[in-house]
Amino acid sequence: MRKEIATFVVNGNEYEVIVEPHMLLIDVLRDKLGFTGTKYACGAGDCGACTVLIDGKPSFSCLTLAVTARGKSIVTIEGLAQGTELHPIQKAFVDKGAIQCGYCTPGMVLSAKALLDENPAPARDEIKSALAGNLCRCTGYVKIVDAVEAAADAMRTGG
Amino acid sequence: MAQGFSYVGKRLTRPDVTGKVTGAAMYGADMTLPGMLIGRILTSPHAHAKIVRIDTSRAKTLPGVAAVITHEDVPKLGFTRSAMAEGFPAVAYKGENQDQFILSEKARYVGDWVAAVAALDVYTAEKALDLIEVEYEQLPAVFDPEEAAKPGAPAIHDRWQDNIAGVIEHPFNRGDVEKALAESDYVVEFSGRNSRQKHAHMEPDVALARWDEEGRVTVWSPCQNAHLAKRAMAQRIFDIGEGNIRWITPTVGGGFGARMSFGVEPVCAMLAKVTGKAVKVVITREEDFSGWNCRTEMRQTVTMGLSKDGTVTAIKQRILSDAGAYLSHSGSISAVNMQSTLGLLRSPVISGKATVVYTNNPTSSGMRGYGNPEGSFVLQQAIDMAAEKSGMDPVAFRLKNARGVGEPSMWEPVDLDSCSLDKCIKLGAERIGWTDKWEGWGRKKEGRFRRGVGMSIMTHASGAGGFLLEHSNAIIKLHEDGSAHLTVSPCEMGQGILGVLSQIAAEAAGLRYEDIHVITGDTDVTLFDIGSHASRSTYVIGNAVVDAGKKIREILLKRAAKRLETTPDKLDVREGRIYLIADPDTAISVAQISRDAIYDYGTDGQHITATGRYQSLTHCPNFQAGFAEVEVDTETGVIKILRFVLAHDIGRAINPQNVEGCLEGGACQGIGYALSEDLLIDGKTGEVLTDSFATYKMPSALDMPEIDVILVEDPAPTGPFGAKGVGEPGMTNVAPAIANALYDAVGIRIHSLPMTPEKVLEVLRAKEHEGSV
Amino acid sequence: MHRVLLPFEFAEPTTVGEVVGMVDGQKAMVLAGGVDLVLKMRLRQILPEKVVSLQKVPGLDYVQEDGSGLRFGALASLRKIELSAVVRGGWPLLAEAIGLIASVQTKVMGTAIGNLCVGTPASDIAPALYALGAGVTIVGTDSAREIPIKQFFVDVGKTAVQPHEIVAEIFIPRPPAGSAGAFMKLSKTSEDIAKVNAAVLVTIVDGACTDAKIALGSVAPTPVRASEAERLLQGRGMNARTIAEAAEAAAEAATPISDVRSTAAYRKEMVRVLVKDALEKAAARALARGGGHHA
Repeated sequence: MRKEIATFVVNGNEYEVIVEPHMLLIDVLRDKLGFTGTKYACGAGDCGACTVLIDGKPSFSCLTLAVTARGKSIVTIEGLAQGTELHPIQKAFVDKGAIQCGYCTPGMVLSAKALLDENPAPARDEIKSALAGNLCRCTGYVKIVDAVEAAADAMRTGG
Repeated sequence: MAQGFSYVGKRLTRPDVTGKVTGAAMYGADMTLPGMLIGRILTSPHAHAKIVRIDTSRAKTLPGVAAVITHEDVPKLGFTRSAMAEGFPAVAYKGENQDQFILSEKARYVGDWVAAVAALDVYTAEKALDLIEVEYEQLPAVFDPEEAAKPGAPAIHDRWQDNIAGVIEHPFNRGDVEKALAESDYVVEFSGRNSRQKHAHMEPDVALARWDEEGRVTVWSPCQNAHLAKRAMAQRIFDIGEGNIRWITPTVGGGFGARMSFGVEPVCAMLAKVTGKAVKVVITREEDFSGWNCRTEMRQTVTMGLSKDGTVTAIKQRILSDAGAYLSHSGSISAVNMQSTLGLLRSPVISGKATVVYTNNPTSSGMRGYGNPEGSFVLQQAIDMAAEKSGMDPVAFRLKNARGVGEPSMWEPVDLDSCSLDKCIKLGAERIGWTDKWEGWGRKKEGRFRRGVGMSIMTHASGAGGFLLEHSNAIIKLHEDGSAHLTVSPCEMGQGILGVLSQIAAEAAGLRYEDIHVITGDTDVTLFDIGSHASRSTYVIGNAVVDAGKKIREILLKRAAKRLETTPDKLDVREGRIYLIADPDTAISVAQISRDAIYDYGTDGQHITATGRYQSLTHCPNFQAGFAEVEVDTETGVIKILRFVLAHDIGRAINPQNVEGCLEGGACQGIGYALSEDLLIDGKTGEVLTDSFATYKMPSALDMPEIDVILVEDPAPTGPFGAKGVGEPGMTNVAPAIANALYDAVGIRIHSLPMTPEKVLEVLRAKEHEGSV
Repeated sequence: MHRVLLPFEFAEPTTVGEVVGMVDGQKAMVLAGGVDLVLKMRLRQILPEKVVSLQKVPGLDYVQEDGSGLRFGALASLRKIELSAVVRGGWPLLAEAIGLIASVQTKVMGTAIGNLCVGTPASDIAPALYALGAGVTIVGTDSAREIPIKQFFVDVGKTAVQPHEIVAEIFIPRPPAGSAGAFMKLSKTSEDIAKVNAAVLVTIVDGACTDAKIALGSVAPTPVRASEAERLLQGRGMNARTIAEAAEAAAEAATPISDVRSTAAYRKEMVRVLVKDALEKAAARALARGGGHHA
């Protein structure tokens, strides 16, 4: 396979893009589809800033060959809010002061979403474990864990 | 706290976070401009080598390549990578060596910049890099500052043949320190070195640039001090006037001092000039690790003289700093180290001296704390040694000897008018349970796992008032609907300054917080300010905002008084509403006054605007006490932090959630600095061995202990609503408190950072061997 | 240093036969999860002309037990194995080892077999598989062979896989009755590659250790079994003295190096400590499961 037209399903919509095998999913998302919410921080799978959900599972888009993501359901940070209505996890991050420079935030929120989709009532330890692959240099993680806890509560009570 | 503030002291949501959480916020790398090219930089694989020949012909002819440049194509103007140097008075500026070129004619470290390419896309740009042929003549290299300072060491820069970048005498030295030490009852000494901690901001460096048809260049980059960078670029790099540069700061993904140095901006601007197109230069994380920013490694000795009753009689600090291949901030950081170290305790005799040396290591620069975390690791252990020698509790020793109100601040020409360090010490000690947990000196603990407590204190500037160019200007402009633009020039890099300044503006002007919209990050629009560093933004810019707010308030009350047929002194304005103090129901909205001012067809038409100004002549230091409780596994050497308590003299927490965030984040960096972050460089080749997050280890969520933050709020007389700075201090007390707790737990001290299990075990075993554990 | 990969040919066959026909381990590499391959390609450490994906071959992600033991296929992710009730119930040592790989994304994307094929002695699952006596099935164009895991690792970055072969399955026999294990790891931070890691599996019957498996990672060019240490425990009760002896012997078996993570001297000493701690933990677990009283 060299160059071909591929279909990507991102945040519920289909997009046709010309891809070559050596292109990374992160670059297709950011440069070809304009989803710049997914961030490049290390390109090595060491920091989680590039995390997207592929078929619901948190994955490093910087280590995913775009061609292997064809046809799979990809969720980026842009897919969480409903119009201007923030997702409860996003709301909790805002309310709890869990966002400083914001660069790790999209990946962090998506890892949190993957956790809460699987485990709606996680203990603090479980939250930390779920976020272990997402580095933050600004917050010290304290308010991030608070936010995920609050989001879990809100989502369980229909908030 | 019963002041009845509308916004000061409240945990309000910052204006910049919604864009960050939805992915809409634009960081540098997210931006595209029409016709934009991508730039990549070729780096040297050698630590010290002359570039004999560069052949770019094959790269230039690759389809899609717009330009390839080398040192032959750039202005031969030397500049300092430290943009902050533009804010120095001339006497200090001289010390910031102009040793940097846009592209090097000689490689001085592995990773030095040799050539650059602009092409249609990143794939083509990298292919072009691979086609550039460079012939190097390798030269002997030196990686140890002590070796580099010896006669006969290879000269790294022609202008500094002895590799001494600078020798700095602490400006507040006094007395004869050798005499004083000789006459002291006790003398203690501790030597240590800190590590080359990486800023590791999650957003890698990036820049965009475009020259327009009139010869003006616009630069977009995550810059902490755009007005200074603009001047440096104009005066020193391209030799054009300051009016010909526009510097735009997009959303910034973390700074920690890294963005006070030029990154890829000069190369980017050069590529844009040569191609006539917009260019975006990107780098990889590996290139960041091997590049031009990290905490300066300093080898220090602190010697203290004491009298029998534990009073400090003399304090001496000697520093050897490794600047790396280019000076950048390493000189000023060494000076600030001495200021914070020697300016903390009361002492009749003080002597500080720093020697800054070039080596073929990657350039080091200024990182959060700016000399303070470097110095505190050594000072605070010396202080504990002094306390032990005097038979005093570490808490008591510090309470006895720390400077307080009425005594000289760390910037000695100015006395302290605000200092609650003693309260911080007492509250922090109480919170961690010091009296229960600290059992006294020399108490041998048993068992495999041994616990200990340790403490540290620090002072830090809230801006370098009295030294740097510390005047700031802020504009508040009202709209017809009562909302306002607040034009200020900090750098929002995550610390939450935009929200804080909005809270201050709303409070000072009597507007509603949600009606404040911050205009920032564009030097065409904002007024001069030296940017966000030295924890200055809340204090200095905040005071300028207060001034602007007061002026707005005056205008509003004057106009409203006319409308309400009264006098301004009978009115107040709060939360967008101007009302009679005696009868608050009689009121008029700010919106109405503002609109009517514009839509005045008579003689009183006005667009309500005010420019506030503030010049800081004091460092207005903030203070902090930090306490760590640790558990040491004597079989593995692993130090586990059970709890960390810090009490910060903040003056007034404009937004407590923000302040906590800064302190918690600082504590996390402090923990990494103390225990695991280690930038390792190959001693033979000069190559950075730990060039990824897989090998350079920062704490993850799983590594953080409970952090207990106590905010001590005794309003500072000169601070905006009493506030002092807090951007940097979160880092400083962590490593020393852990080091002192380690001593309490197992009776050993580590002399270099990080305090790894390997080092702990080695020292423990050596001690056991001596039979003293 | 590079930001993007160099171009290559990409194939997505639908049968294992086609895959092995194409891959030679050098010019044509197999792609499972890609976590290791893609990074090495970006860093120009591997420069294949062709990448052959396993991802379109159906039925390779199984994690299942049968009469003789546990089997997982080439596309079984670390995460799937970690969360599998079958694995947690029957092979908790393996689940424990995967649990100490902290990054969820790494486990979601990375396959267990892919992890082994990197050939690093620091693999967190290798010591567990060594202790559990796993077998590796390697298939070629016309062949299939099963080798014990300890023959799979040949040297740093080198495994027993030949050109035109891939690893198709890992088989782990059921641990003996009365056995319990423990996995331990030391690293700079929680989300990190091991400085030293160790897995032990002890079988205790009527208070005596009838079998001990001690496997060490990160302290030799391949994971190693500490055979002398295992022998020392054979037939004896597990107490502080016997455990200390075994741990001492295990340290002797380690030949670690100094690198960016740790020093040789520290690693050697930590083998002793980790093996001691692991044996104590495993013995306590065996006891709790009723494996006979502690001697």
